[in-house]
Amino acid sequence: MERSFAKEIEALRLGAGDTFHGEGILAVTKALLQSGVSYVGGYQGAPVSHLIDVLVQSQDILDDLGIHLETCTNEASAAALLGASINYPARGCVTWKSIVGTNVASDALSNLASPGVIGGALIVIGEDYGEGASVIQERSHAYAMKSSMWLLDPRPDLPTIVRSVEKGFALSEASNTPVMLELRIRACHVTGEFPASDNIPATVSRNRRVEQPARFNYDRLAHPPATFAQEKLKLEQRLPAARKFIVENHLNEVMPGDLADVGIIVQGGLYNALNRALMNLGLSDAFGNSRVPMLVLNVTWPLVPEQLTAFCAGKRAVLMVEEGNPDYIEQALHATLRRADINTRVHGKGMLPAAGEYTIEVLTRGLLEFIAAEQPQIDIAAPRTAFSTMQDSRRAAQALIGPDLPLRPPTFCTGCPERPVFTAIKLVERQTGKLHIAADIGCHALATFAPFSTGNSILGYGMSLASMAGVGPLSEKRPLAVMGDGGFWHNGVLSGVASSMFNRGDGVLMVMQNGYTSATGVQYLPSSSGNRVDHQPGGSDIETTVKALGVRWVKRIRSYSLPEMVKALRTAITTAEQGLKVIIADGECQLARQRRLRVTEAKALKSGDRVVRTRFGIDDAVCTGDHSCIRLSGCPSLTIKPNPDPLRTDPVASVNSGCVGCGHCGEVAHAAVLCPSFYKTEIVHNPGWWDRFSDRLHRAVIARLGGRAATQPQPAAGE
Amino acid sequence: MSVSRPICILIAAMGGEGGGVLTGWITGAAQRAGFPVQATSIPGVAQRTGATTYYIEIWPEQTKQRPVMSLNPAPGQVDVMIASEFVEAGRAIANGFVTPDRTLLIASTHRVFAIAERSAMGDGRYDTGRLFRAARDFARASILFDMDQAAKDAGSILNAVLLGALAGAGALPLPPDAFEAGIRADGKAVDSNLAGFRFGLSHGRGEIAARDESASQTAASAGSLLPGRIAALPDAARRHAAEGVKRLADYQDLAYAGLYLDRLETVAVLGDDALTAEVARHLALRMSFEDVIRVAQLKLKPERFAAIEREQRVGPGQPYLVADYVKPGIEEIASLLPGFLARPLIGFSARRGWLDRVYFGMTVRSNRIGGWLRFRLLAGLRPWRPRSFRYAEEQARIEDWLGSIRRAAKLDSALAREIADCARLIKGYGDTFRRGAGNYERIRDQIIRPALDSRIAPAAAADALVQARTAALADPEGESLGRTLSGFAASLPPLRQAAE
Repeated sequence: MERSFAKEIEALRLGAGDTFHGEGILAVTKALLQSGVSYVGGYQGAPVSHLIDVLVQSQDILDDLGIHLETCTNEASAAALLGASINYPARGCVTWKSIVGTNVASDALSNLASPGVIGGALIVIGEDYGEGASVIQERSHAYAMKSSMWLLDPRPDLPTIVRSVEKGFALSEASNTPVMLELRIRACHVTGEFPASDNIPATVSRNRRVEQPARFNYDRLAHPPATFAQEKLKLEQRLPAARKFIVENHLNEVMPGDLADVGIIVQGGLYNALNRALMNLGLSDAFGNSRVPMLVLNVTWPLVPEQLTAFCAGKRAVLMVEEGNPDYIEQALHATLRRADINTRVHGKGMLPAAGEYTIEVLTRGLLEFIAAEQPQIDIAAPRTAFSTMQDSRRAAQALIGPDLPLRPPTFCTGCPERPVFTAIKLVERQTGKLHIAADIGCHALATFAPFSTGNSILGYGMSLASMAGVGPLSEKRPLAVMGDGGFWHNGVLSGVASSMFNRGDGVLMVMQNGYTSATGVQYLPSSSGNRVDHQPGGSDIETTVKALGVRWVKRIRSYSLPEMVKALRTAITTAEQGLKVIIADGECQLARQRRLRVTEAKALKSGDRVVRTRFGIDDAVCTGDHSCIRLSGCPSLTIKPNPDPLRTDPVASVNSGCVGCGHCGEVAHAAVLCPSFYKTEIVHNPGWWDRFSDRLHRAVIARLGGRAATQPQPAAGE
Repeated sequence: MSVSRPICILIAAMGGEGGGVLTGWITGAAQRAGFPVQATSIPGVAQRTGATTYYIEIWPEQTKQRPVMSLNPAPGQVDVMIASEFVEAGRAIANGFVTPDRTLLIASTHRVFAIAERSAMGDGRYDTGRLFRAARDFARASILFDMDQAAKDAGSILNAVLLGALAGAGALPLPPDAFEAGIRADGKAVDSNLAGFRFGLSHGRGEIAARDESASQTAASAGSLLPGRIAALPDAARRHAAEGVKRLADYQDLAYAGLYLDRLETVAVLGDDALTAEVARHLALRMSFEDVIRVAQLKLKPERFAAIEREQRVGPGQPYLVADYVKPGIEEIASLLPGFLARPLIGFSARRGWLDRVYFGMTVRSNRIGGWLRFRLLAGLRPWRPRSFRYAEEQARIEDWLGSIRRAAKLDSALAREIADCARLIKGYGDTFRRGAGNYERIRDQIIRPALDSRIAPAAAADALVQARTAALADPEGESLGRTLSGFAASLPPLRQAAE
């Protein structure tokens, strides 16, 4: 796993009287334990990966409480996991990255929401929206509305988040409805504190198992005719029950203010940014004492009409602060007020942008407009000047710095086994011409950035092969699908491989087998060399799996052996043989590998064992500064430096100290016939007698021949 | 005094650099002082080695009620901007996070080059001069120095130096020990990180002046060979000429260095000193074209092994192996033969399509007897070089280039200089060399020659050369060069077509 949570895990043991310090998503984890949860699960993905990682590393705590942990192979199986709460009074929580995870889970979610639950069912979704997001920008809100699930969007401070988790389970049980808890990226990673309470063992758990299976009850099936009754139940019983609970438990917060004839309705998650924007207008202070009354929706679905009308009644105008589009809440607000025949003006989209993250700057601009329109008696000249001064200053800075400030897109780690594969693709394309490349989700998606800039489409996690099913038949050249082992097990094996075999598809699938879902923080997957439960190999193997599915053309190739990869890929693209061709690029994630090696190498060096350190370098005098090597690799440790040659001006390529000695640059120099400036060094630490002897011998002979080919012992310096 | 707003700290870093560690140290220091503090970040694969930020808000006094703190930074509302790399500092300034009324900028001036800068075919480096000016104009105060070097010197991580600079600047109401405590609490590389911290601390306090950023260019040591003839050249050209003579004497022999000066003098007499200087530089490089013999020669140089031992941190007497990747093709090998053998061989291989397929790849262990001898053997061919095919070809190319420079100089000095500078297109080995030489020929045929035959106005041609050269270095596929040239052709008056 990319990160160790030893410290954080201790915090999960805290009890009443203690104060929890830590990240938002870990506070959620602690809140689960405080809520008597029976089972947890999910699929990793920023920004909620840490929730799973921490649980995986705190197995003993889970065992004490009898909590079952399921690390699911995709979000659909995570959603289905909640099926346990349909028939049993067991609280369950699953988590994933949204919108994408919710998309994958949606079928199970519909079938969960229709019969409803008797045990609290909570879905913690990391709303991957705005700066730092890595997925399409859509709202999870739509799912809550169309499946009648409830959506919590708490103020982003730990006590409120923790309370939302605890109340979320209660709300779910009070209304027999699954509840989604939405946390934006920064809220997942926000640090803070809250007063801890004791962890509660569940009534039903691994330690207290149910003796008898639930009795047969057709109404608990998402199957006609029950489904018709369930639809009515949603509206006639669960919705009112939920609204009652929301009001009685004050989940939404009304904050008073002296400017009583206006108000702001805001999603809880945006509250902190909104308050800062109000401070910029001098309309609030750092402790949230706003002059403008506010209705903070910590529950953004369902809305409580009575709450909305009560807040708006007697106000000239309100500002609806709702991030993203469509503006579901604003539309509902309009309808609610119309029905209640309240003609308070509603501002929202228009004064605020229709799309994009609601940052402090965006909100400040919107508020300036709102106050100018609805509270003209308030003098906002000063804040308006401050705002435009900031904008002018930024414009001036941009003018000075210029548009050519180099971007810094993310890229493969140093020594990543996926880099050589894309080098191979680039080299093959020199012979075959450009290929249609169906890209996928995972680290390999970083190849869409420079220097590789490959990929014609991304249709979702594990979807690359399926996404070119319609391209191959229409193209002269065979297309290539790239997929990680993460995507393969997530669903690529079925929606991709099986479907392609079933349709006698003809194409090439490149599977990156690095042994983990690395992009999400290096978690195990079914074909990993380890398994969180028994630390034995995962048990599933990609090669045997595709063969079992009937694929005849399968090659497993070491990622770093560029010539073989080029040969295999060229053959796969050009061979007359029809049918799906699968190349498994085999190379362990370098992040995981280095974490392991650093420890063992340090140990060996300490205990005086022989260690050979391999590094790569470039001869300044031989490099002519064309940088083809970089265009074919992009390795972070393969960089440039000023040309030491007084006659040359172009910078020379250079390998920095980050090099892990994967050997790729050497392979590239060879395979692409670049230039002879690359060299490899193998430095022997704790050398044996033979090392010393042969080294001296060679040095002596070469010296005799009039050369110098190794170090003359020099005082000081060195390791 | 009563505080009305939190202290806002924005950290610009690169994914995987440990910006989280720095953030933890800062929030830890605030916590120890009992100040409410909040940090957020946007990790995830989207930041892997890419640009990312961390944001901290500190309420600089103890309070019962916890203030509402923001999760996003706001332009114009950052008190301390910390950047672990200089272009990232520039990005922060361009995004409005550094403003004269409020922001203390703490940034390392070292560069981690971005991919566009690294992969450029020539020199794609961003000019950081603008950033120094931006820092001066837009920061309330700034602490700028090469923290990467400082960290290396101290054996610490860069973040420790940044933390020290922050502590030293006194921008936060926290004593240095509050920050040190964080480093100690981690228990990782404590002493070296404290060393880095202390260096940053004294910098932050202004006890050390930032090192001079401009003192990077080193002057070339003038060669003592043929001093008389070098002295006869214009000042501007002497440094390059001396270096050229030195290089060519080493490359071939003193006579060859003499030939270099003969050629240079034919340009010098034209009286355009700037031109002579440029030609002195390019001519030396063109005459020391990289062939197999040259590469072998360079691979054997004692300075080379000294450099390797320095860069790879090889201890005294520590056994190590150097393996060189060389892969000569038919052309490289044929080019060593005399023309009457080389031409048919190359022609034959070309017909067979071997030229870009048949190579002799080898890894030469050049500090082992066998490998060393192999290079020694090739380097030993130096006296033979003047009889080789490649030699003849290169001399012809060089004469042609010099000839057009001399003719151009009579028409227009700008044109002559641009033609001279086109030599930078021709460099490298194998594909790279072929591509560069090819590009030069396209430019010669479509711009230089028409200009010399006065079918194009010299000024127009000079401009066209600048554009064409930029285009040639824009993409390896030569697409933009193609566009530029055809665009240029289209722009010409009909007179050109008539002439063809």
